[in-house]
Amino acid sequence: MSKVNVQDLARELSSRLEQNADEVRSQWIKEMQQVGLLAALSPKEIEEQSKAIYDACVLCLKTGSYEGAERYAANMAKKGVLEAMTVDQIIAGLLILRDVYGGFIFQWYHKDPAKWHATIEIYQPVARKILNIVATSFVAERESVIKQQQKAIMKLSTPLVEVWEGIVMLPLIGTLDSARARQLTESVLNYIAQAKAGTVVVDISGIAAVDTKAASHILRSIQAIKLMGSDAIITGIRPDVATTLVTLGVDLSGIVTRSTLREGLEYAYAKLGLKMTKSSTT
Amino acid sequence: MEKVSIPILKSGDYLITSPQVTLHDKMAVQFKSDILQKIVETKAKGLVLDVSAIDVVDSFLVRVIGEIATAASIMGAQVVMVGLRPAVAMTLVEMGFSLEGVHTALDLEKGLELLRKAGKR
Repeated sequence: MSKVNVQDLARELSSRLEQNADEVRSQWIKEMQQVGLLAALSPKEIEEQSKAIYDACVLCLKTGSYEGAERYAANMAKKGVLEAMTVDQIIAGLLILRDVYGGFIFQWYHKDPAKWHATIEIYQPVARKILNIVATSFVAERESVIKQQQKAIMKLSTPLVEVWEGIVMLPLIGTLDSARARQLTESVLNYIAQAKAGTVVVDISGIAAVDTKAASHILRSIQAIKLMGSDAIITGIRPDVATTLVTLGVDLSGIVTRSTLREGLEYAYAKLGLKMTKSSTT
Repeated sequence: MEKVSIPILKSGDYLITSPQVTLHDKMAVQFKSDILQKIVETKAKGLVLDVSAIDVVDSFLVRVIGEIATAASIMGAQVVMVGLRPAVAMTLVEMGFSLEGVHTALDLEKGLELLRKAGKR
């Protein structure tokens, strides 16, 4: 059995893959088309993408460096998330490419089992690594999209509105969990510190249901607002919410409450010595 | 260790103090007795405690501030704490501390205003 030089063989394999690029690639495209993977892409896209992927794979084999593949995969992930190909389709495509390579390696080397075996040894880890890179970049891309959306939602969920100089309105909508309550308190407090808002009107008419947890979150936020030296008013307590709060034994003493946002704002204006009146000229 | 005392300034009927360093236990106790002494000396009607430079408040300091407020009000001076940092306020609430008996205001100016209003009543 002849001793096989691994490096020589790797070079040989990659140059073979380069020389026979068109043949291998068309075989790959044909097999992908057979299982209907490329239906969503135009012929031009198929040509471009398959060439790029093919070249990236050969480059990995040739140089042993995966930077190009990583960059390409990240780019593809960014596009793929937006475009027609799903992750499983892309991975299926790459698996087919692996099999096509395997088939050609068999064709080229099956007469020399030692060489064939050695080639497989070289090529398999590269294929594994490439698949790994692609899968990881897709997951990473998804995660970053989710994170961005979470951030956007978080921002949307604390709409601080300056009603008048020193009066801030905070309409709460949806559900209050600990994470959101914390974020909410944080942004309210920072806003108070920065805008020197003396009164915060918290309107809870949009809160779906108030349970002990939500109530304690609201109370804590109000305590923190008070510690900062600002005044907090709760408005929009619906009858069912009021009943719940009483049943739960939530202590609202020391907190100004008003039934509607309008009355809450009136209270806040009165604190500043302002009064809403109808203009006499109209 | 060198003794560092925190300046307590008098302006009209009111005292103003603003610690610029983190108050350790010993210092906090010293600070408390300094304030109470100064209230006696000046017959001040109020004290503004500016905590805007303090970024660490522990349970002991909370207690000391509460004690200062209670003792001062017995002696006829209202205490207003001003400029509490948002992060500190959140930590205090999360730890379950409430500073009952301590008035709060957004900043020094509003604190003095509060004292003036309280004095008129």
